[in-house]
Amino acid sequence: MSTREQLMEILEELRPDIDFENEQALIDDHIMESFDVVALVSSLADEFDITVRPKDLLPKNFNNVDAMVELIERLMEE
Amino acid sequence: MKNVLEWLEASAAKNPQKPAFIGDKEITFEQVMTWAKTIGTTLAQMEGDAPVAVFSARSATTPALFAGIVYSGRAYAPIDATLPQKRIQKILTNLNPSLILVDQESHARFLKLASEIFEDRMPAIVKVDFDELTITKQDETIVSLDASNIDATALDQIREQMVVTDPLYIIYTSGSSGNPKGVMTSHESLMTYINAYCKVMQIEEQDCLGNQSPLDYIAAIRDIYIPFKTGCQTAIIPKEYFMEPNMLFEYMNEKHVTSVGWSVSALTVPLSLGAFEEVKLTSLNKVCFSGSVMPCSALRVWQENLPDARFVNQYGPTEATASCTYYVVDHRVTDDEVLPIGKAYENYRVFLLDENNQKADRGEICVSGPILALGYYNDPERTEKSFVNNPTNHAYPERIYRTGDIGSLDENGILHFHGRMDRQIKHMGHRVELDEVECAANAIEGISESACLYNKPKEVLVLFYCGDLEKKGLSLALRETIPGFMVPRKLIKMDALPKLPNGKIDLKKLEGEM
Repeated sequence: MSTREQLMEILEELRPDIDFENEQALIDDHIMESFDVVALVSSLADEFDITVRPKDLLPKNFNNVDAMVELIERLMEE
Repeated sequence: MKNVLEWLEASAAKNPQKPAFIGDKEITFEQVMTWAKTIGTTLAQMEGDAPVAVFSARSATTPALFAGIVYSGRAYAPIDATLPQKRIQKILTNLNPSLILVDQESHARFLKLASEIFEDRMPAIVKVDFDELTITKQDETIVSLDASNIDATALDQIREQMVVTDPLYIIYTSGSSGNPKGVMTSHESLMTYINAYCKVMQIEEQDCLGNQSPLDYIAAIRDIYIPFKTGCQTAIIPKEYFMEPNMLFEYMNEKHVTSVGWSVSALTVPLSLGAFEEVKLTSLNKVCFSGSVMPCSALRVWQENLPDARFVNQYGPTEATASCTYYVVDHRVTDDEVLPIGKAYENYRVFLLDENNQKADRGEICVSGPILALGYYNDPERTEKSFVNNPTNHAYPERIYRTGDIGSLDENGILHFHGRMDRQIKHMGHRVELDEVECAANAIEGISESACLYNKPKEVLVLFYCGDLEKKGLSLALRETIPGFMVPRKLIKMDALPKLPNGKIDLKKLEGEM
């Protein structure tokens, strides 16, 4: 399964009401709430074996699925 | 002192040009007072004395709206415009306001809601625009927000008639039947709490409070009224910073935030996101936390990073004006420790009643004194059930509030907390009745039965359900009726829920399946 597919599974479970394929400003438009980000960061740690550091917790890294995939892949290489 | 406005007026007289609230804007004490008096004058000319519903942004200008309503001699009921429409509808049905106040940010959103909620009996809507500095009345007349539109004589007359037990606000909280409860609190209760809190936290004029909670939420009363009383300042911290600890701490340092009264999760969430690793806090020295049990593993990290700060554990419900007891943490905690909830605040009486309604060292935590809420608005039935006469006093009426929490007293007279008697939980700082989540789910077409549980270690609400509806459809439907924080993030569909011999759902068995 690709990173993207794996991420989509996590997101679908977390917030089935959000159209993750099309939303571009998940954080800036307050579509995702703080509970979601906390739950997401812990799922990413479990699923991808990565640690999201405070400096990565920027809206631009979580505003859409592409940005999240990019972040995950970067952290997996580190 | 019989009215919170006296506090505001004294602080505005002393430091008129000092910003009282900072955030999206900077609002001085004089501006808060002048705007509030203008709003008060305008509202006083309108009919009725019922509580006023307020829809406003989490903005530095919002306290002026609240104070404006108080100047008009009424109580205010703040409502979050981003709540699901059905919930707003339930709140407005209970409140039945004849007057609604909105700010420029919530106006459009509210009008859309209003057209669907109110059919024929539309209440009067007054819009306050803090960008244009105008008040727009129902009939489209515009009043500018300046001192020339204050009718001091009219405001004085209103004040003269007010008494210390007059209602100040109504704050809505979760109710197990599915209908939110409006907790109505007086000036006296609020002032008693603020006085006691400032003493324990040692708040002074030079302090800056960091506001975390939404302004319609009970925890915000500190951030709104402590500046009135002490002349200190409140910084309204943008919500999204709580997901980004570096930005959060940099902001707090820049604004010189010295004191916070936060929910436990506001302190633990930044830690789980790596707070203190890259940015330190330089000005914070007083930390009060409340809302749920503080894990000492998290408190230890805060203590290590702020070795000179004062940490206080506060306990208490909205019905007792946000609080009952406090515990000043007087030592470095260890990870497996459980903090006591301490002793009663000044002018609070807190005691335990056992199952025979006798005073005991272990039992239900009960509270009495001037901090008791006036009751649940427009809800005599639930008011009578929770606010009862002290069963140990047969000589004269003495109202107490039964919290539904279990406590015990140790040999030093220090109170400890042992959980709920019913199914209410605390989730990320919010009070959630698991029954209410089930009520909402069971009311959805295609759901036959459901059981809601809380996975505490993971901080996730879990809903087991039976019915035709798929997870996505259920999640969407729930979001239409209950606030986002109440919507379970984990939904588990079952063919049948496990039952006990008496036919009730076997919650213990479901716990094992979370």
